[in-house]
Amino acid sequence: MQANVGAVASTLAQEARAHRDARHDRLFGWLLKGCALLVLACLLGAAGATLWGGRHAFGTFGWHFLVSSTWDPSSDTYGALVPVYGTIVTSLIALLIAVPVSFGIALYLSEVAPPWLRTPVSSAIELLAGIPSIIYGMWGLFIFAPFFADHIKPWLTNYLGDKPDDGKLSWVAAHVPFVGKLFGSDYPFGASILTAGIVLAVMIIPFISSVMREVFQTVPSRLKESAYALGSSTWEVSWDIVLPYTRSAVIGGIFLGLGRALGETMAVTFVLGNAMQLSASILDPGASIASTIANQFSEAAGLQKSTLMALAFLLFVVTFFVLLIARWMLRQLAHKEGR
Amino acid sequence: MTEPAAAGIHPQSAAMSAPIAPTKIKVRDLHFYYNGFHALKGINMDIPEKKVTAIIGPSGCGKSTLLRIFNRIYAIYPKLEAKGEIVLDGENILDSGYSMNRLRSKVGMVFQKPVPFPMTIFENVAYGIRHHEKLSRADMDIRVEQALRSAALWDEVKDKLKQSALGLSGGQQQRLCIARGIALKPEVLLLDEPTSALDPIATGRIEQLVEELKSQYTIVIVTHNMQQAARCSDLTAFMYLGELIEFDRTEQIFTKPSKKQTEDYITGRFG
Repeated sequence: MQANVGAVASTLAQEARAHRDARHDRLFGWLLKGCALLVLACLLGAAGATLWGGRHAFGTFGWHFLVSSTWDPSSDTYGALVPVYGTIVTSLIALLIAVPVSFGIALYLSEVAPPWLRTPVSSAIELLAGIPSIIYGMWGLFIFAPFFADHIKPWLTNYLGDKPDDGKLSWVAAHVPFVGKLFGSDYPFGASILTAGIVLAVMIIPFISSVMREVFQTVPSRLKESAYALGSSTWEVSWDIVLPYTRSAVIGGIFLGLGRALGETMAVTFVLGNAMQLSASILDPGASIASTIANQFSEAAGLQKSTLMALAFLLFVVTFFVLLIARWMLRQLAHKEGR
Repeated sequence: MTEPAAAGIHPQSAAMSAPIAPTKIKVRDLHFYYNGFHALKGINMDIPEKKVTAIIGPSGCGKSTLLRIFNRIYAIYPKLEAKGEIVLDGENILDSGYSMNRLRSKVGMVFQKPVPFPMTIFENVAYGIRHHEKLSRADMDIRVEQALRSAALWDEVKDKLKQSALGLSGGQQQRLCIARGIALKPEVLLLDEPTSALDPIATGRIEQLVEELKSQYTIVIVTHNMQQAARCSDLTAFMYLGELIEFDRTEQIFTKPSKKQTEDYITGRFG
């Protein structure tokens, strides 16, 4: 009898415990779901707020807003083409420079460098990533842009561009299509789309290279050994084995860098020149979405303010499409690989 | 060693009644240092051509280290150093002038765990060939098929050559690695515990394959499975603490070993 009562009591205790556990787990589940939904709410809130703020501009200019390069506060007529173009082109130039350099840095640190050198250089890269963008902006404005104007730009305009100082076209400018236009400029200062692209590249190299370095280190050494055992060189092992093995993470890292480049404000505002004009030349000044907003928000009112909100919404859209393209590229690659 | 090192220095001439085949790889006074640690201490052995030579011994005895010197795969890591001579077809492969590319096309290697490359099955085999030869598409198809047939894998994968190699079973992946190795038409095949990650059936297939391959290749297999050494090798080397204790015909080693340590190891008293 006594034993029976004890058994019943312990069963009851067990059931109570089971109930409590289930309740706690449910609560915990809701908590986690709340955290995750918070991200979604922030995203939708920000997108919704900019869209709502920009409704006036979208309503006034319609689809024309996207393709018009006019930016005239005196007649209250605005088009988004110049800043959208500037944003995309500066970011692309930044990627064009940053991706190969980061690949080299990451490969060197993970495959080639002697072990004693790896830690200090890796820490230096992480420190570089921590530098506030305003400092890059100051460096760009006071040091790099003047240097660029004195030493690099004259060379580019004279040997590649279609507006050389002495008026004589170089062979390249005369014979290779587009190159002349791309490098032709009579703007005398250092601020330009190319300058902004280079400064952006310096800013995103630490991000891309530290992601690449980390994922390169996850490649199993036996995989690399197998490739070396077939007579591959270090370059072949890196290109044929390490890169395909880490491809999705590498692309992720590149798009992380691109995301930063698209939204970067301070550094770009300093070196882009802030000219609301559309030019085919990357040596001419331009504007980006972020720099336009930063420059004009404090004095804007009415339709101009709404236009800046609309631009912010467009930045959302551009970033979203970039992510979409990244996903699509990954899927294509996986498909080609036969998975 | 206090005992005269006759068997250690020229195992073939001293311990064996007669060499069973011409020597393919001649190892002379080989020392290996791992970050200053003396891992191999004066190894001498003659590995015969087109036979299976097994290297056995307890963990840490240096058997894998020895194997990894035969194709100098150790050289991709810093602070590893081999001293002595390994003569392959009359040339010392430890000479700094010996081309790594040539060595690795002559000496293929299969590792402990199957490591297919993240590519299609076809590309896994074609990959190594491309480093050494320029072949037309048709010739490449033939070479890949030959390699897969020799590795007894063709019938299982011929309909899915364009699929990722990562989808194969462990045993199939290991045979793919063997196919990848023999696709280069090497003369020597190094197998580093090739079945330690496989189930008994897959292991049986690999052993059968080794038996078939030895008519064409000189095979050196490292194993910690003594039955495997007894089943599929012609010669067996027993190593202990970085030294080659005994090297003789397999039936000799497993029936009448001449050294006490060998006997203790194969009867399971340690290791």
